[in-house]
Amino acid sequence: MNYTRFVLHAAIAASLAGPAAAEDKVLTIAGSGGVVKEITEKVFIPAFEEDTGWTTKFIAAESNIMLEVRTMLASGNMLYDAMEVSASNYPIGVQEGLLAPIDYALLDPDNQLPDKAKKEFGVVAAAYSTVLVQRLDKTPEGKKMQSWADFWDVETFPGPRSLNRQPQYTMEFALLADGVAKEDLYDVLGTDEGLDRAFAKLDEIKPYIPVWWTSGAQSVQLLSDGEVFYSSTYNGRVTKLQESGIPAEIVWNGGALHTSYVGIPKNAPNYKEAHDWIRVRTMRPDLEIQYVRQLPYPNFAPGLFDEMSEEVARNMPTYPANAEVQFVAYDEFWAANIDRIRERFDEWLLE
Amino acid sequence: MKLRPILWLLLPAAVLLAGFILAPSLDLFRASLFDPDFTMQHFQRLVDRGVYLDVMWRTIRVSLIVAVLCTVIGYPVAFFINLQPSRRQTLLLFLILIPMWMSILIRTYAWIVVLGRDGLVNQALAALGLAQEPVQMLFTSGAVLAAMVQILLPIQILTCYAAMTEIDFDLIRAARVLGARPRQAIARVFVPLSLDGTLTGLVIVFMLSMGFFITPALLGGRQDTMIANLIEFQVQRLNWSFAAALGVVLLVLTVAMIVLLRGAGRLLARRVLKGGL
Amino acid sequence: MQGLKASWGLTAYFWLIVIYMIFPVLIVIPVSFGNSEFLRFPPESFGLRWYRAYVSDPVWVAATVTSFRVAVLSTVIATTAGTLAGLAISRSPRRAQGPLTYAATVPIVIPHIFIALGVFILALRLKLTDNEVALAFAHAAVAMPFVVLITSAAIRQIDPTIERAARVLGAGPVRAFRVATLPPLIPAVVAAAIFAFFVSFDELIIAQFLMKGSETLPMRIWADLRLDISPVVAAVSGLLIVVTTIAMACAETLRRRALRTLAP
Repeated sequence: MNYTRFVLHAAIAASLAGPAAAEDKVLTIAGSGGVVKEITEKVFIPAFEEDTGWTTKFIAAESNIMLEVRTMLASGNMLYDAMEVSASNYPIGVQEGLLAPIDYALLDPDNQLPDKAKKEFGVVAAAYSTVLVQRLDKTPEGKKMQSWADFWDVETFPGPRSLNRQPQYTMEFALLADGVAKEDLYDVLGTDEGLDRAFAKLDEIKPYIPVWWTSGAQSVQLLSDGEVFYSSTYNGRVTKLQESGIPAEIVWNGGALHTSYVGIPKNAPNYKEAHDWIRVRTMRPDLEIQYVRQLPYPNFAPGLFDEMSEEVARNMPTYPANAEVQFVAYDEFWAANIDRIRERFDEWLLE
Repeated sequence: MKLRPILWLLLPAAVLLAGFILAPSLDLFRASLFDPDFTMQHFQRLVDRGVYLDVMWRTIRVSLIVAVLCTVIGYPVAFFINLQPSRRQTLLLFLILIPMWMSILIRTYAWIVVLGRDGLVNQALAALGLAQEPVQMLFTSGAVLAAMVQILLPIQILTCYAAMTEIDFDLIRAARVLGARPRQAIARVFVPLSLDGTLTGLVIVFMLSMGFFITPALLGGRQDTMIANLIEFQVQRLNWSFAAALGVVLLVLTVAMIVLLRGAGRLLARRVLKGGL
Repeated sequence: MQGLKASWGLTAYFWLIVIYMIFPVLIVIPVSFGNSEFLRFPPESFGLRWYRAYVSDPVWVAATVTSFRVAVLSTVIATTAGTLAGLAISRSPRRAQGPLTYAATVPIVIPHIFIALGVFILALRLKLTDNEVALAFAHAAVAMPFVVLITSAAIRQIDPTIERAARVLGAGPVRAFRVATLPPLIPAVVAAAIFAFFVSFDELIIAQFLMKGSETLPMRIWADLRLDISPVVAAVSGLLIVVTTIAMACAETLRRRALRTLAP
């Protein structure tokens, strides 16, 4: 960057003072803020500090985390040792070469993690779903939505609805409603005809969607306020919605199952210790159980489900009966196709 | 004033702008044209795919409407405050500034409470028997305008007020003495004198509106997309060069709009001075 | 403006607009006293749950304090630099005024994300990340164009002949400025300062890039947004309004008392 050159003069002054004294034994971790940060600091960080004798600095980095990492990498000053990598950021991180490969011999010498938890550049930290949620007090007497086809059925289930204001997973839901089998979703979506078919299906529901949500919080608030009766949303806050007296129910059938990761940015100052953190974060069922009690976003810590009561387990997206009826969101597909499809989607919304 | 002291006065501002604004902006221009070699592909894409210019045009239109509404609504408010004894002026300004302490998120939520399906307005309509079904007011362009004007109005009032306090009211009294009716005195003397500050407020509100996206996203329908939404998405995708191209076009269009607005303002001022309102 | 009275219609109009602007307060205050997990109006049960959550969480309190500190510092920087520049522009040759004003104005439209990244690179180079001072300067840079606009518009209205008269009567340039030009300028400077304060107090994107480890209030508010809009946000808003109203009332009372003691 040219700007870099401009800044260089100023930088000389700083470099004269010598490199900043490397703070010893501090692991810097970037992740989501808010509730996630609170629980992480309460559960995982004390365990890590006790295990390793290191201290940690947890940084709430939000939507621009990949841009931050790329900038740090370019400037040769990587501040993070480990980071949360969301489902949609993972393929970007891989494409752009922002992540360091995980050393599984170092992380998991006894091979305890199941294969589905292990990716080349990240370990599954949380699984969550984008699911259909309905307000049972607004559905017609004695009827309940069972599928995305029901979501599209405005005769049987009248009332305002909401979907995510982005094509990811929304297109999949449309195809499911149109009768595509979940195994064939991405084959169909990958063709021009398939894409046309998904948009044609979305055309049908368009007039019944007064609002397209842009954040998980918004979708839950819309359901809570009764602005919409049915909406896609993340599974995480539905329990809280129920506890606050809203008879909301998840339709697991046709949900999109995602996994987010914990990874290590390239040139992280403490590559080895980052693995210790990942081990604490992903392989400790005793800690993970405390996390999922607050947020139903489980990972694949060995033996996690043994720690749960049946009642708690049934709310988990990875509970076998729930996982079975969902499709696995294929984020590599979206990383490769999002620009094209998103432009068309945006145009379609403006029509 | 001689030139040298002027340059000295400009120095702190120039340093601040050069370091924090100019440098990143130059980088923005560079990134939009070099990726890594010189290319027009990003501007090409922007023009080829209609959606970007379409959204840009919508953003300008909304911002313009908000700016004009804020000016029309805010001007009499600032004028009223100026008529008060000075101690009460402070108090009234404070009243106007209260909403600024609330997070935008909360101010936006308040509109959901008012305009929603079970909102206050719909409840009132139902109670009066004026509506059978809840009227859809939320998720419309009207809701976006109502909220954006509400959020930006304090800024316009403040700017107008600051400009009006400088006006020498003896001029109006003189006009009255010379036989002008009150309305005439205000239109011929006061309005032209306060026009510069009012125009400044209008431009500020316009520019701030161009960057809005939270309120339109929460209160608007599917067509109320702002250009900031699209830029944000491209940034998250790390399509930095394309995001930069969008930023550059936004910049150019906004500057063009400001030149137009100021020109129109001057023209209006001349008309007012010549013939009254 | 003595001698001119607001008509009945204008008064009614004023209060109508005030209601339009502050009705969110009337909604936020009850919501903040609700007990529900979500923002709910009207609340079904009342309690201090969210105020307690706010006060007992050191992270929220620290974020509020940080935001205040950054905003105050950035207001001082922006107002000083901006007012000086506004002065310079209004006193420069007429031909230069237009271009100078544009140069000061245009930065407002640069999306914050670009400024954020530019400043972030600078901060990385200088190893200044997690530095409130850097953030305050960045916010000041964003707010300063507004200050320039507001003050230079005001200065143009001020009659320069008074200052010239003061000079003729033997006052030095600084004194002439202080006596003749500064007093009528103060409302504009105050307006600009208020403006600069809120620009910083509300700013999210640059803060997210620059602050590593500590949070500002907008960062804290937005951190939760992926999951939910916490009613704590309502409690914070309610509290800020109450605190500033009390501060304002105290200042007013003190001022009146001071006036009374001064009076013969």
